[in-house]
Amino acid sequence: MGLVTPGSDTDDVEQRPLVPRVDTLAGKTIGLYDNGKPAAEPLLTAVQEKLEARYPDATFSWYHVEHLNQIKNDDEQDAVVEWAEGVDTAIGAIGDCGSCTKFLAWGVELIEDAGTPGVGLIDEGFELDYQSNAIERGRPLRYKKTPVRCETTDLERVREEVSEDVMDGIEDELTRPLNDKERAEPVAQ
Amino acid sequence: MPEQSQDEQSLAEINKSLYREGMTDGLPVIPPTEERVEEMLLGTDKSPDHVVGRLGNNENALTVERLAANAVMAGCLPTYMPVLEAGVRALADPDSNSIQFSVSTGSWAYQWIVNGPVREMLGIETGSGAFGPSFHANQTIARALGMAYRNTAKIYPGEKDMGVMGNPAKFSMLAGENEEASPWEPYHVTHGYDEDDSTISLAGPNSWVQWLPSENTGEHVLRGMIENTPSSMRASSGEDLNVTITHAINPYNAEELEKENLSKQEIKEYIVENSYYKTNEYTRTFGDEEKVPPRQVQQYADTDAVKVTTIGGPGRVNAIFGSSIGGPVTKKIEFPDNWESLLEEYSIEENWVPTEGFYD
Repeated sequence: MGLVTPGSDTDDVEQRPLVPRVDTLAGKTIGLYDNGKPAAEPLLTAVQEKLEARYPDATFSWYHVEHLNQIKNDDEQDAVVEWAEGVDTAIGAIGDCGSCTKFLAWGVELIEDAGTPGVGLIDEGFELDYQSNAIERGRPLRYKKTPVRCETTDLERVREEVSEDVMDGIEDELTRPLNDKERAEPVAQ
Repeated sequence: MPEQSQDEQSLAEINKSLYREGMTDGLPVIPPTEERVEEMLLGTDKSPDHVVGRLGNNENALTVERLAANAVMAGCLPTYMPVLEAGVRALADPDSNSIQFSVSTGSWAYQWIVNGPVREMLGIETGSGAFGPSFHANQTIARALGMAYRNTAKIYPGEKDMGVMGNPAKFSMLAGENEEASPWEPYHVTHGYDEDDSTISLAGPNSWVQWLPSENTGEHVLRGMIENTPSSMRASSGEDLNVTITHAINPYNAEELEKENLSKQEIKEYIVENSYYKTNEYTRTFGDEEKVPPRQVQQYADTDAVKVTTIGGPGRVNAIFGSSIGGPVTKKIEFPDNWESLLEEYSIEENWVPTEGFYD
């Protein structure tokens, strides 16, 4: 006699391709997606300042989720897609706890749904969390680990920790052409 | 899952296989063979493929059959199925916020409170040690619901479940309310159900504090409820995030509050009006340079953020659960047509007390 599996059937999550990256950030409208965690705004502020220094002709557009949980709501999801359709590329923050990493992946997924390439910024301890949520949602979403420890809201400290190397990494994720896996047509997980 | 024969594989091997696939809570389980699952399904009128709830990122379906498989693994009796089905409906209710608190770094636990006639039918403990080990229904129902959530939503520690410390109570925090010893309307009646209904309620706290009043009077109990609540247990009800705390009052102390003619609502009002936490850090916010920061602020935004229940046995020790970032949601337990005969067939008697025969 066999066993009845206690788990749900989830092995058929199709992996969809990522949206092609922009070739440069020069002159682009860059979206900054704040997922509602207190540490998201200072991190994105520091990132914006450094991108402005690199690309004076770039413009920025913010989207703030007022509370982390609101991304569960259909209205909020529709609003994120509508906003993302108006930017050329987008950076989301922050994945620095269990639920916020999950909901950041949801947010970046919505940005990609809008046809806009997105990148999530995460605390390095939440890499597997981001990856597994992204794969479960159906895309190998890009991300950049930052040295900013979770829940850090001191803007001065964040400015110091978002080094030029970190910025190089973010820029790379935003502009590096897709690889074969990222370009692949839908396949079962 | 590969086909595995009861004859071919030992209990240990099956356990090892289920553990490897992430299907257990780390403790040994009873293998969910087709035969055992079929027996578990005696506890429901619903078809095996009926979807009880959808859980996790992708709203994965939890069918009656898969729920029964988890119930077998946890050691449940078929008579627990109606409670499990209601528990899954609570988990799947967006108001439970289980999708967040199940994976959060805060290591939140599934806190279950059972009300109504089902407590006596199934031997769900409400008195001494109700939240602790020992009681078959209390322990196995909570365990089955915890494993069912994990196995359906596919969350694993360090992967999607990012609880920093983990929580020993996560899959075991279940008690019945001691309605018979309570001076107030039962918990489920406060939340809109009839007294004769059987219900299960879910919240998501990550901590609890046990405390006792310095004197056995209503005033000391009330003061103790406030003074023993850590300032980190703050709460406010709201649409997007409902944060609550639950005071579990023991019957003795509930009796003292009754002597003061205090209703549950009046107790909540007293707590909200008299609970503050100190703002120790000298901080100024932008734009408020001329204002002096407050020395203390209110701990609870409103009475809806404070819950009261009567649980436990003789003694003066109470408990505070909080802060919960999920629920509470309450679901009615619906019984199958064969309920009475099932109860007769499946029951576990406790024969623990060694004094029987000495004091007749």
